[in-house]
Amino acid sequence: MARRLFIVLIGLALLTGPAAAADRSANAPGLEERVVEHRLANGLTLLLMERHQAPIVAVNLTYKVGGVHEHNGITGVAHLYEHMAFKGSRTIGVTDAAREKPVLDELDRLAEAITAEKARGPAADRTRLAALRTQFAETEAAAAGFVVPAELATLYQRHGGVGLNATTGKDLTRYFLSFPSNRLPLWAAVESDRMANGVLREFYKEKNVVLEERRQRTDNSPNGRLHEAFSSAAFQAHPYGLPVIGWPSDLDGLSKARTEAFFQTYYGPANAVLAIVGDINQKDVIALVEQTFGRIPARPPSPPVLTTEPSSAGERRVEVEYAAEPQILIGFHKPGTGHPDDEIFDVIDSLLSEGRTSRLHKRLVQDKQLATGISAFSNYPGAQYPNLFVLGATPRAPHTAAEVEQAVYEELDRLKKEPVTPRELEKILNQIDAAQVRALRSNSGMASRLGYFQAISGDWRETFTRRDRIAKVSPEDIRRVAAHYFTKSNRVVATLVKPTSPTAPEAKP
Amino acid sequence: MITKRKPLPYIFFILAWVLSVSSVFAQTAPLGDPRTMKFDPVTITVPEVERVVLENGLIVYLLPDRELPLVTVSAMIRTGSIYEPADKVGLAGLTGTVMRTGGTARLAGDQVDDELEFLAANISMGIGGESGSASLDILKKDFPRGLAIFADMLRAPAFEPAKVEQAKRQALEAIRRRPDSPGGITAREFRKLLFGADHPLGRESTADTVSRITRDDLTAFHRQFFAPNSLILGVTGDFEKPAMLDALRKAFGDWPPQPVALPALPPVTASSGPAATRSVNVLRRDISQTHLRIGHLSVKEDDPDYFALALLEDILGGNSFTSRLFRDVRSRQGLAYAVGSRIVPGNAGPGVFMMQALTKGPSTHQALASMLDHMERLRQEPVSPEELQLAKDAFLNSFVFSFADSGLIVGRLMGLEYHGLPKDFLQRFRDSVVRLTREDLLRVARQHLHPDRVIILAVGKDTDFEKPLSTFGRITVLTLKPGG
Repeated sequence: MARRLFIVLIGLALLTGPAAAADRSANAPGLEERVVEHRLANGLTLLLMERHQAPIVAVNLTYKVGGVHEHNGITGVAHLYEHMAFKGSRTIGVTDAAREKPVLDELDRLAEAITAEKARGPAADRTRLAALRTQFAETEAAAAGFVVPAELATLYQRHGGVGLNATTGKDLTRYFLSFPSNRLPLWAAVESDRMANGVLREFYKEKNVVLEERRQRTDNSPNGRLHEAFSSAAFQAHPYGLPVIGWPSDLDGLSKARTEAFFQTYYGPANAVLAIVGDINQKDVIALVEQTFGRIPARPPSPPVLTTEPSSAGERRVEVEYAAEPQILIGFHKPGTGHPDDEIFDVIDSLLSEGRTSRLHKRLVQDKQLATGISAFSNYPGAQYPNLFVLGATPRAPHTAAEVEQAVYEELDRLKKEPVTPRELEKILNQIDAAQVRALRSNSGMASRLGYFQAISGDWRETFTRRDRIAKVSPEDIRRVAAHYFTKSNRVVATLVKPTSPTAPEAKP
Repeated sequence: MITKRKPLPYIFFILAWVLSVSSVFAQTAPLGDPRTMKFDPVTITVPEVERVVLENGLIVYLLPDRELPLVTVSAMIRTGSIYEPADKVGLAGLTGTVMRTGGTARLAGDQVDDELEFLAANISMGIGGESGSASLDILKKDFPRGLAIFADMLRAPAFEPAKVEQAKRQALEAIRRRPDSPGGITAREFRKLLFGADHPLGRESTADTVSRITRDDLTAFHRQFFAPNSLILGVTGDFEKPAMLDALRKAFGDWPPQPVALPALPPVTASSGPAATRSVNVLRRDISQTHLRIGHLSVKEDDPDYFALALLEDILGGNSFTSRLFRDVRSRQGLAYAVGSRIVPGNAGPGVFMMQALTKGPSTHQALASMLDHMERLRQEPVSPEELQLAKDAFLNSFVFSFADSGLIVGRLMGLEYHGLPKDFLQRFRDSVVRLTREDLLRVARQHLHPDRVIILAVGKDTDFEKPLSTFGRITVLTLKPGG
């Protein structure tokens, strides 16, 4: 199962242009009018689109919670919770929840005692630690006796559910699957149950699974290492600088109580957007959702993210030593969602990196052949809060990261000096319009889009209206934004370099 | 308000398949325990796809779908890297790449890109192991222009020298970067062990083989394999059939057929000889997580046991969350994030059965032992009735997703024809699954799974392993060749 952690990071390059207002574009008539929005009394937002091509339906449940709601000490908690959400509830995934509870409580008590003892460092009592660990292993085995393995997934699979998965990003945590459409009541029962009554069973085992995920994505991946160091260097105050997967020591020490509290704080119905696209009858689905999710009590609003990143006094550069071929990331601080300059960056993103005819691809990959690939991310590592515009490149030997970096700056300088041509802007709009039409090919793609924009900007119509704002971006806007943001002092650069060759071993005396 | 869509104008409903065996009682009662919910079976109507053969042998499948103003043409071409010469491994892939980038008889490569990107159209070309593929995806209004470029690219690619050089340089850089990805190393080394490092299915390109490839090789490879009688097209989207056939005849009709010889694949002897025993292979890398791969050759897609084996494999490690490997190695033991199994049925060559996991160095032995135990258990005792029922229900109730859109329906028919499989293959698959018993699965496990003859590959830091892997067999230490 591929649980993509950095979906927002990867996904946004594609999502920069999901616009093309349907009623304004001849390509997708009436698209906007086909979406129905319904708000439950407890605050949950429901978005529906009927599409009757096949008797199937895609559901996408997006929570406005992610790595941005963490701080050092609890990094990784949003993602770990996402894993835990597959473990069931008070009724699903367990033989006898009442008898399970005291065992789980005892397990937590032992885990916290172990964490406390370990925190004493060199003064830790090793004998006590060993005894605690033995007790812990016995209690964990007892807890496992109550587990009905994978019962939640079994229910979905038995009824033909496909693509069951979830992702955790900086801003959002998203749960999704597709179903034969007549089985929607089953999904509503299970999903509303885990929203209200999730039980964190197999918690400590799952931490090990996440640590393996970290080894796979970050520790043994040159790319993963580079991105982690890059974000950390770019954000020293704002939580966008923390790794979504978590620091290993935080994961190790994370208590179940903290994880449970995190769930209680951020998984309320008002923090959720539920998008359903497919062979449905909207009235029936609204009734179904009212009957299930509607029974979940409202929770207090989750606390806002207060920290803002102070402006960096000067360029930040970071080198990551790893035995691999070079890579480079160049980022510029920029505003987040809702700022008028945001769409201009989307246009610049397309202009520089979308397709073989984009400027950086032409210059670096085709003409000078300094790099084998170039990519841009216009909302890195998240979209909601002030973030980075990032250019990443893979140098082609014998060319170096420094040569690539220089060529990128020359191309950025061109943006500051020469106005872009009308044809380039027209091409970008054509691509956005076509992407809008193609989005409807898949129920899950459409559900994901609607849920994304509702959760990030508070209005699913952004899927359509963003296109019109992009259409208004002028060559002068692009010149102004390039000159304002693409400066040395606003810049963060990370490069992957080979470890300097180890010094010759000293001769033994 | 919502504009209710008219149902798709599928005119020819030829089949209505009833897709559920377990959930036969409809119920609209209030929501209760999801475990006891019953639903109507999922029924689907499958549209008729028209198959036309043009005078020059080109096969066309047509399925109009008027929902969106888009047209998609996909192609399969009888070629593949298995047909490239041993001293020029990489030629097929480069040919596919430069067909797309290197221009046509009428347009330079850069002009093609400029025009397509301005129209927001996508054309892809590629040549894989046992087939070539191409596709055009374009707004209906631009279709005539797109089709003209697409046809030129297939029929008369220009292979501009500069684009050939660029593609070669990119390929060389990719080879240089291979050691950076342990997953890639594992996949390539495992294929070498399975098929043999010199076999067309096992060999890999090197800086040498790529450097040796010239533009003339590309044009010759194209000339050898690209002919209308080697091509299967599938067209879906917003069109009328007669007009589409006219357009295709105009674009491809005057392309003369030619005899295309497809040499037979040499037999695989590397791991399938009668004396084959279990082999344990370790490739040392300085990483904190071991990539484990375990497997052996397996059945072809037309083998009568394939369906049973596929369902058995779902139970072992194919289904996420619910499979034995996921539940045990991941959830119960916490040893891996990525763990599972696959069966890839063979077509030109043999199929492959494999299990894989990524686990930290100090749990390598434990994870490997668990996976082998699970494989062995399938041969020792029948799967439980509940497991079999879940696997069947999951397969049958999700069957509707095989018909989720017209592209899938047409793509499948193309693939079946390409591989010489019957066009009702999926229906046969479904019917077989309905009938499968626990005894059937036990029989195929005993006949087709051989834990005593598996190839084991561990890529990682063997000094971290908690126990030497020699308990599984004699260890061969592999070394990574430069660029390997």
